[in-house]
Amino acid sequence: MIALLLRLYPARWRTRYGDEFEALLGERPLGPFDVADVLLGAIDAHLHLRGLGSYSEHRRGFPMSLRLGGVAATVGGALWLAGFVWSSLDPADSDPGGTVALLGSIALLIGLAGLSAFQARTHPTLVWAAFLLPAVGGAVMTFGLVMMAVYPDKPIVGDVSGWFFFIVGLLATMAGSILFAIATWRTGALPRSGAILLGIASAISLVSFFGSSALGEWLQALFIAGFLAFPIGWMVLGLQAIRLDRPVMATGAA
Amino acid sequence: MVTPPPELGRFAEPALLILVSLSDGPKHGYAIMADVEQGTGRPMGPGTLYAALARLEERGFIEALAPVDRRRPYRLTALGATTVAEQLRELSAFAELGLRRLGQAPR
Repeated sequence: MIALLLRLYPARWRTRYGDEFEALLGERPLGPFDVADVLLGAIDAHLHLRGLGSYSEHRRGFPMSLRLGGVAATVGGALWLAGFVWSSLDPADSDPGGTVALLGSIALLIGLAGLSAFQARTHPTLVWAAFLLPAVGGAVMTFGLVMMAVYPDKPIVGDVSGWFFFIVGLLATMAGSILFAIATWRTGALPRSGAILLGIASAISLVSFFGSSALGEWLQALFIAGFLAFPIGWMVLGLQAIRLDRPVMATGAA
Repeated sequence: MVTPPPELGRFAEPALLILVSLSDGPKHGYAIMADVEQGTGRPMGPGTLYAALARLEERGFIEALAPVDRRRPYRLTALGATTVAEQLRELSAFAELGLRRLGQAPR
C-alpha cells in the first residue's frame, strides 16, 4: 500500500523526499483520511513541480541579497572607518586613507542596495522610499571622493570642488541613513538593535555637524563620536544580516 | 497603511503550524505531526505535511538535517524565525481586532 502511494508522486519528488516519506507512512496504520491526504499531496506535487524551477530562481534572490548586502555593509563600514581614521592621523594629500574610504563608500552603497532589496519583499514602498536619499547621497559622496583624488583642492564645476560634493553627499547619506534605519526598524526584517545604533549615530553626527563650531568642544567630541559610530552602525547591521542568513537552531532533533 | 505579512503561499495554514512546531527545536515529520495535533487538536495528514515542508524548504524558511534512521529532522532558519514571528504578530493583531468588534476582551 505504502509503495503504491509513493509511486503516485513524481520521480523527482521521490528522489528528495521518498525515503523519509515512506518511513513516515510506516510509523502508524494508514486510515482513510491519511490515504486521501496522500493522494491529494501527490496531485499537488505534480502540479507544484511543473512551476518549481522559475519560482525557486525568483525566491533565491532574497537570501542572496541578504548575504551580499550583509557582507558589503560590514566591509564597507570597516573600510569607511579605517579610511577616515587613516586620513585624520595622516592628512597628507597623497595618503591612501581617501582611497580606502572611497572603496568603503562603494561597498556601503552595495550594502544599502542589498539590504533594501531583502527588506523590500514585505514593505516595498517604505523601503525603496528610504533607499532613495542615502543612495543618491552615497553616489554624490563617492563622486566627491573621486574628484578630490583626481583634482585635489581644485574646482571642478564653477567654484565648486570635490570637497563640496563629498560634504553634501556625506550629509545626505547620514540623513538618508536615519530614514533607512527607521524603515529597517519598521519592517522588523533585520534585528532592530543595529537599526537603532545606525539611526542614533547618524542623527548625532548630522546634528552636531551643523553646530560643532558654534557650541564648543564637547559638541565637536560628540560629532567625532557620531562620525565613528556611523560606519560602526552599518557594520553591526551588516553582521546581523549575515547572522540572519544562518540557521537559528542548533539543538538535537526530536 | 496595512503592510502585507511575509508570504507563506499556498498551504499557508499548515506551513504556519509547522513553523511554530519547529520554533522550539528541530523535529522530523512524525514529531511535527504529533506536535501539531497536540497543539491544535486537529490531525495533519502526511500529504499535507510534506507539501508544506517542501514549500518551506524551497523558500529557505526551514532546512533539512542529516537523516537519523530514515527520519529526516528539519529546523527553522533565521529567515523562518523572522517570518513566523511576523505572521504571529499579524494574527494576534487581527484576533484582537475581531474580539474588540465582538465586544469581547482578549484573554
